[in-house]
Amino acid sequence: MAVLFSLAYRPLVAVLIPGLVSILVLFSRRRPNLREAWTLIGSAALFATVLSMNQRVVKGGPLELFLFPLFPGVAFHLRADAPGLIFATTSSCLWILVSLYAIGYMRTLKEHAQTRFYFCFAVALFSAVGVAFSANLVTLFLFYEILTLSTYPLVAHEESPEAISAGHKYLAYLLTGGVFFLIAILMTYHWVLTTNFQPGGILGPVSGAVSPWALRIVFVCFLIGCVKAAWMPLHAWLPSAMVAPTPVSALLHAVAVVKAGVFCVIRIVYYVFGVDLMASLGLGGFLALVASFTLITANLYAIGQDNLKRRLAYSTINQLSFILLGVALLRPMALKGALLHIPFHGFMKITLFLCAGAIAAIAGKKEISRMQGVGRALPMTMGAFMIGAFGMCGAPPLAGFLSKWHIALGAVESGHLIFLGVILAGSLLDVVYFFPVIRDAFFGKMPESEMLPADSEERVAPLDKGTHWMERQRPLYLFMVVPLAVTALFSILLCFFPDMFSIYDLATGAVSNLF
Amino acid sequence: MALSQTPFVVCAIIIPLLTAFAIPLIGYWKKSLCYFIANAALLAALLSTVVVLNLVVRHGSLDYHLGGWAPPWGIAFRVDTLNALMGTLTASLFFLVGISSKRNVPRELPYKETPFYALFLLLFTGLMGMIFTGDLFNLYVFLEVGSLTAYALIAMGEPGAMVASFRYLIMGTVGASWYLLGVGYLYITTGSLNMADVARILPGIGASKAVLSGFAFLLIGIAIKMALFPVHMWLPDAYTKAPSTVSAAIAPIMTKVMAYILIRISFTVFRADYVIHTVRAGQGMVWFGTLAILFGGITALAQKDFKRMLTFIIVAEIGYIVGGVGLANATALKGALFHVFNDAVMMATLFMVAMMVTHRTGGHGIDRFFGLFSKMPLTATVFTVGALAVIGVPPTCGFFSKWYLLLGGIQAGQWGFVAALLICTLINVALFFRVFDKGLYLHAAGTGHELKEGELGIQEAPWSMVVVGLILASALVVIGIGNQFILETFIQPVVPKGF
Repeated sequence: MAVLFSLAYRPLVAVLIPGLVSILVLFSRRRPNLREAWTLIGSAALFATVLSMNQRVVKGGPLELFLFPLFPGVAFHLRADAPGLIFATTSSCLWILVSLYAIGYMRTLKEHAQTRFYFCFAVALFSAVGVAFSANLVTLFLFYEILTLSTYPLVAHEESPEAISAGHKYLAYLLTGGVFFLIAILMTYHWVLTTNFQPGGILGPVSGAVSPWALRIVFVCFLIGCVKAAWMPLHAWLPSAMVAPTPVSALLHAVAVVKAGVFCVIRIVYYVFGVDLMASLGLGGFLALVASFTLITANLYAIGQDNLKRRLAYSTINQLSFILLGVALLRPMALKGALLHIPFHGFMKITLFLCAGAIAAIAGKKEISRMQGVGRALPMTMGAFMIGAFGMCGAPPLAGFLSKWHIALGAVESGHLIFLGVILAGSLLDVVYFFPVIRDAFFGKMPESEMLPADSEERVAPLDKGTHWMERQRPLYLFMVVPLAVTALFSILLCFFPDMFSIYDLATGAVSNLF
Repeated sequence: MALSQTPFVVCAIIIPLLTAFAIPLIGYWKKSLCYFIANAALLAALLSTVVVLNLVVRHGSLDYHLGGWAPPWGIAFRVDTLNALMGTLTASLFFLVGISSKRNVPRELPYKETPFYALFLLLFTGLMGMIFTGDLFNLYVFLEVGSLTAYALIAMGEPGAMVASFRYLIMGTVGASWYLLGVGYLYITTGSLNMADVARILPGIGASKAVLSGFAFLLIGIAIKMALFPVHMWLPDAYTKAPSTVSAAIAPIMTKVMAYILIRISFTVFRADYVIHTVRAGQGMVWFGTLAILFGGITALAQKDFKRMLTFIIVAEIGYIVGGVGLANATALKGALFHVFNDAVMMATLFMVAMMVTHRTGGHGIDRFFGLFSKMPLTATVFTVGALAVIGVPPTCGFFSKWYLLLGGIQAGQWGFVAALLICTLINVALFFRVFDKGLYLHAAGTGHELKEGELGIQEAPWSMVVVGLILASALVVIGIGNQFILETFIQPVVPKGF
């Protein structure tokens, strides 16, 4: 047992905790309270394990764990390094909050198949942490595919025809992407007989031996493999997946899935291809173009959406492209901004989704056009929403400002001012579609007929119209309101203390290692 | 050669053979004993194969001369790591299926337990003989022993099995005749039937037309027997209509044994150099493999019956193996050999699921899987692991053999084969998730089955089947994780030189 507590085994322990939780959840399916307790204990334990590694890695370099061979030259190999820890910290911290929120949400709406939900959720976390700590492409691929498969029952959770077709779309995009990923990994292995991630890349030595077009095609295959990053035109799975329950959307958009996509892009650009090869093949520019196109187009799509979660989904696509742009500029500042945007965007976007879910669960509203005056019924929720939305636009003093600032600095550093223009235009468009929501929610007037809670069984007559405060009607709602307040708070605090959980140090360390 | 004359090689064949003849007598006296006697014989055979495997790994190949007659006159059994592994695999699968038959055979084949177990053991004898023998004609004899019992076993199945079995009989006999003709040509040119002896004589003969015809006839015969597209037509009906236990035993292993024989004939009797460079059979194999993969995958999509869908997946998987052999490099051959092994376990797992579902719901259409995850959670788990293995999701074993096959395809520059493998992967996703959705989603509107949670009581299959299913499912993961051990210990030594 003692060996499991030693530092070298920490990455494995971190991967195994959610795995263990998933099994415990399955075995306590008849006792919901125990089942949720396992999730909460597991998420806290995971967060503590990840945090315990952060400072060590900042000071002493990555932790390596070599488990067993998979292929000649490829092992099941875990490594906790700076970018991986940033991703793992984000996922594990948000898992605690989403678990709390899920208790409130799932029980308020009396959702079916909750055991399946918590089981798949834990497996998804297991694979997300695995993706974060993978030391080579094959190990990464293993966890990446498990992540896809475990989230499929979550996306289709409602089991309505719409949800099932969204699930099928999800699988079709992600598994087809997986096939491209596999072929790219095979080509890499074919050329260099290794798939280990190395700062500076592993494909550099073969650039003379194989045609540059072969390398470019392999890069595009990798990029299609990273369809989880939802770059356009391969983004359609993400908006349709919003039919899933809100905690699942939070998982997709903030905790694990899309972040795994951009994380893989970082691994591929900086640890497989390397900065020099990316620049000499012109792939940095190509990726930057894809990201810029997505960034602007996604925002234009978002303006037209009436369903709040759908609008948020397009906002996610846009924000992911901020990260991709930061990666593609191949500049230290831009990369640091991209790495910071992973946790920062996670905290802000989860706030927005949790708010959208709370509005749907408590007030029964999903369309923006029906949210007139909802801010007065749900002041905490809409307050948090406002914070998240400001953060998305990159307004100080919110976390989003800090990461976008770094990316913008990188754009200036690279000398391509056009990308600075893209960043500013994108942020401006964020304002266009977020501010009307906030304005209507606070200053619009709710029709009187709708001033009743969604679950009519527990209907509590409002004392008088002035003090009608829906969030206080049931203690269960606290499970939703408190997590979203906490994430909103974090979105502010991270701007002032970006080194919370050593995130800033880790980003600095990762960047100094790569350039 | 004291070590070579170890009795364990022949034990694995003689014990089930003698027991097969004893079972009718015992069954006449007490029918319920048949199950135990048959499984005891299978266990004994399994233990002998494990001993043989252990000896082969430690001391190299074993030669056993039947009756002490030295080859080329006597019949020789020659066991290297590859057929020791195949033997152990076959014996394990038969033993597991034998265990699981406890409740299923009395239900599906009432009053036929005695003939069933006798034929079951005889089939096993035939397969073990084919695997261990070192003699071309002896192989034919065991091939017929195995095939004839298989026809009889399949004919016991559901309505229509008789016709399917007859069709199989016609095709199987044609295939066996081609094989026999091929052996005849080789005997005319070399004057020997012993595989090692033929292999020694053949290079001296040079590129004679007679040898070439012999090789072609052997290939055609084996192709029919292993259901390589386009001579696969007998397989889907026969395996679908067969009784559950029979298809769980035959479907995974019989075509794989034929694949093993293909590899044995191509690379032990003939030399890799002859097959690949002189005859250039490799390119043809890759093409037929590619077509088989695409045809099997696409046709499987059109099936509404779970077992029938699996049979077309078998057709595709045979394409993987034949294509892998034809790619003619060490990586691909390793992949093909490993896939022979993996596919047997994967198909055994899935046919075991079919057996469990049939036992509980009375049929094996895909619609019978409705609510599987609520009604039969353990069966559903076994199904999920098996399906993921066929799709090739890591860390199940299917991923690893596919990796070697794909890498071999890339090394050989056969992009068509690589593309076919990848397309088939996606088709498998569609195939299995269709079943998976049926099993998982109870509330799907429009199915006419809207149900509340907990409305379906748990009706798990009998323990004898569930335990076997779980063993097979965990084997899929264990083989995947331990793939380096299996490849280096058993498969690397038999990859022929000259690749």
